[in-house]
Amino acid sequence: MHMASASFPFLSAILLSCVAGMIVIMLIPADRKAPIKWVSALFSGLTLVLSLIVFLSYDKSLGGFQFVEKVQWIPSLGISYFNAIDGFSAPNLLLTGIVFFTGVLTMWELENRVKEYFALYFLLVAGVFGLFMSVDLFFIFVWYDVSLFPMYLLIAIWGSTRKEYGAMKLTLYLLAGSALILPAIIYLYAASGLHTFSFISMMQPGHLSPGAQKFAFLLLFLGFGILAGVWPMHTWSPVGHVAAPTGVSMVHAGVLMKIGAFGVLRVAIMLCPLGWIYWAKLMAVLAAVGIIYGALVGLRQIDLKYVIGYSSVSHMGVVGLGLSTVTAEGLNGAVFQMFAHGIMTALLFSSVGYIYDRTHTKLIPELGGLSRIMPVASAFFIVAALAGMGVPGLANFWGELVVFVAAFRTYPVLGLIAVAALVVTALFMLRVVQKTFYGPENERFAKLTDVSPGLGIPRMILAAVLLFLGLYPAFLFDVIQSASVPFMSGLPR
Amino acid sequence: MNLKMAGPEIYYLAASLWFLLATFFEGGFSLREAPPGEAQDSDAAYLRRQHFNALCLALAGILVCLASVYSQGQLFIRAYKLDLFSQVFKVILSLALFLIVCICGEIPDIGRRRSNEFYFLLFTCTLGLMLLVSADHLLSIYLSLEVSSYSLYILVALRRYQGFGLEAGIKYFLIGTFASAVMLFGMALLYSMTGTAYLDDMAKVLPGIIGRPGIVIGLLFTLGGFFFKLAVFPFHLWAPDTYQGASNQVAAYIATASKVAAIAVILRVLAFAGQGSIYLVHVLAVLSVVSMTLGNLAAIVQKDIKRLLAFSTIAHSGYVLIGILVLTPAGYSGAIYYALAILIMKFTAFMVITELASDGRNLRVEDLAGLHRRSPILALALMVSLFSLAGIPPTIGFTGKFLVFVAAIEKGYIALVIIAMINVVISLYYYLLMIRAAYLLEPAEELPPLGVSIPKKLLAGASTLMIVLAGVYPPWLIQLAQSAAQSLIP
Repeated sequence: MHMASASFPFLSAILLSCVAGMIVIMLIPADRKAPIKWVSALFSGLTLVLSLIVFLSYDKSLGGFQFVEKVQWIPSLGISYFNAIDGFSAPNLLLTGIVFFTGVLTMWELENRVKEYFALYFLLVAGVFGLFMSVDLFFIFVWYDVSLFPMYLLIAIWGSTRKEYGAMKLTLYLLAGSALILPAIIYLYAASGLHTFSFISMMQPGHLSPGAQKFAFLLLFLGFGILAGVWPMHTWSPVGHVAAPTGVSMVHAGVLMKIGAFGVLRVAIMLCPLGWIYWAKLMAVLAAVGIIYGALVGLRQIDLKYVIGYSSVSHMGVVGLGLSTVTAEGLNGAVFQMFAHGIMTALLFSSVGYIYDRTHTKLIPELGGLSRIMPVASAFFIVAALAGMGVPGLANFWGELVVFVAAFRTYPVLGLIAVAALVVTALFMLRVVQKTFYGPENERFAKLTDVSPGLGIPRMILAAVLLFLGLYPAFLFDVIQSASVPFMSGLPR
Repeated sequence: MNLKMAGPEIYYLAASLWFLLATFFEGGFSLREAPPGEAQDSDAAYLRRQHFNALCLALAGILVCLASVYSQGQLFIRAYKLDLFSQVFKVILSLALFLIVCICGEIPDIGRRRSNEFYFLLFTCTLGLMLLVSADHLLSIYLSLEVSSYSLYILVALRRYQGFGLEAGIKYFLIGTFASAVMLFGMALLYSMTGTAYLDDMAKVLPGIIGRPGIVIGLLFTLGGFFFKLAVFPFHLWAPDTYQGASNQVAAYIATASKVAAIAVILRVLAFAGQGSIYLVHVLAVLSVVSMTLGNLAAIVQKDIKRLLAFSTIAHSGYVLIGILVLTPAGYSGAIYYALAILIMKFTAFMVITELASDGRNLRVEDLAGLHRRSPILALALMVSLFSLAGIPPTIGFTGKFLVFVAAIEKGYIALVIIAMINVVISLYYYLLMIRAAYLLEPAEELPPLGVSIPKKLLAGASTLMIVLAGVYPPWLIQLAQSAAQSLIP
């Protein structure tokens, strides 16, 4: 396999700018809120630029792992600080950069405990970045937990609706995931007999017996699956998303759930391909149930954020369905859908956050006619909702299309049912749009102002990305394919 | 016989004697009739001076232990053994004593009248624990265990004003003597089966006859005495009551130094058992699972922070037992590392408590309310130590668990590790409740900011940093634990 070392440690620079940002924020006195926000914007902008550079300079024709950085960390256990990017992680890195930056800008109006919020937010994102770029199993686990532990405070302090319950439920569920992941990782380490946690050494075929792969795959799939919102382990996700403050909801639904799907792909599927083939049917069934269940439950919600939360369950089911097809197309579609869904939910939460900050309600029956009061804010939501319905011309269309084509070939029945569920998704998205933005106005909100240009920037970026990828999907597909095609052709059959 | 090798032991004996002598000479002016205000002033000054002396003595003790870290050999007709294992543990113990003395600046619930006895007992107890980690003969193990235990019984009972002290002391004493009796019975069995009381000689005989019921029962009963110290089920009952009844500082000492030494001596005894027998491993595995599950479940409902931490200690002893029962060098080094982790993270948590309860009262979880505003650094230290106790990376607590789990899975005990990880999830619940209290809850009435002195802030910062650094980049410490474990294997 090709491995290109990095001339400049871009990946570490990304991590470093998160950590440095956090440290600088912690050094600023708590009452100087404006400098804290500017520093946050500066450092998150820097990470966005760096991740964009990494994505653009990833050599698609070469494929394999690039930007490799390796430092021995704990030699006696074969642990090294080992970063590299391949076609699966490059899009996720970019996604994180975009959501991170726009998440900071979205929270520009925050007034309560600003310093702590941004410090914890930077720590959270550092964990996410670390997980996407790490190719050492030990570090993958460490980053997973680093991204987990600021979560409780972020939700419980700055959240809304049943925030303490939501925060506790989310934290415990995600830690339960890590309770399965850690034994599985150590098991792989012991079973391979290589005495290293390096993902790249372990993924060479022949080190793991079929039995070990089947066992470890199940643990890893369930563990990461909790974070990916796989039905029936999804219940933390709507509750947590509703409770979280806007910026955290964005990172959470936009990026953190992708960590789960990415973990399934990176650790479970790539290390235990035989386990993957063995358990693929189970994955497909759970994913299909998730798609239908999320859509049907979403139909009955009256809280805007709950609607988005359940639509996430449904959309992440699409990702799971793509992963379960055991085809290169399925993987392509799944990774594309991860990216598209990340941007889309970030935009949805960001728009709802704006509306909630003004109206102080998220209940659909209390809203109504908002498109006349705040047309711009409404437009952002409607664009994201259209993307969620899979309308051609926006990013999600391609992800869903590719996944369903692959799924039809492998599991015709499940594919059919899942496509039917998409109609329900479209129905509930349209229902929300109609009831919230059209229909009779609530005169309580008639005086509210629309999105200012400053606050519009993050939403515009997100909407632009959705549109750009809708028109030019090859921008992502080419990169993803450089990883999925070699991986599938190397698969034992 | 070369007594120079026993430098740390002689030093701590001398230091404790110094405090004993001080108790004879203090009486002169403390009984003097003086106006109340003046008496209080001189009392406070005397306390400060004695605290400063204790601090200097404890600090010098660390240096003495560090200086003798590479001494090796046997003393007292082979009943006492110095190797890297014992010397590393002596350094850890001296560090523990120093840290505990650091937070003994104010001991309002023990009072000036007993301050000398207090320090005297702290030093003798540390001496006993140091003897324990070096003891290489059944009787020397027993004697040093009792030296440390008796000091602790009195230390617990010293807290007289709050009513619980005596009760806790007596409870601790009764269960302790019961455990000692069990241990002596086990030792007698071991002696009768092997014909020797030297651990070294036993190591030669044991591997051949390890499967015999007499040996297994003898070993388990002997371990019972140490399980009492470590608070492993079924010898855990004293822990919650004793922690609650003892003053905060003494509870901190029991939670740190005493646990560290208990882990050391269990390792010492089991390392001689070689590969062990399957019965022994099974019994230890059951004890481990019951300890952690019981500890974590009981901790959930606790309102008193010290009781909560006591149950969390029981849970932690369960995790440590996993490292011990795999009976491999990797497991031993994991347990050694875990001992250090327990010391640092438990100390940090207790430091925050003693600082917050400056009048020496027992804190409830809701008393933490508003801590993040009253003292951000203490709140941060508490949060980091609690996450470390829960085993969330990158903290020293996680690295400890990781090492233990790696050793267990290499031996094939994956079910045990999964159970332990489920326990970690349970434990995070009550740790989060404490963090919630410190960061989210607001006190019922407005409380002023805590006046934390600069040295205390430094101490809080340093221990927080230590927890994180040892979690982020642990290879040096792991190396140390591994070499110590190597010297343990006969």
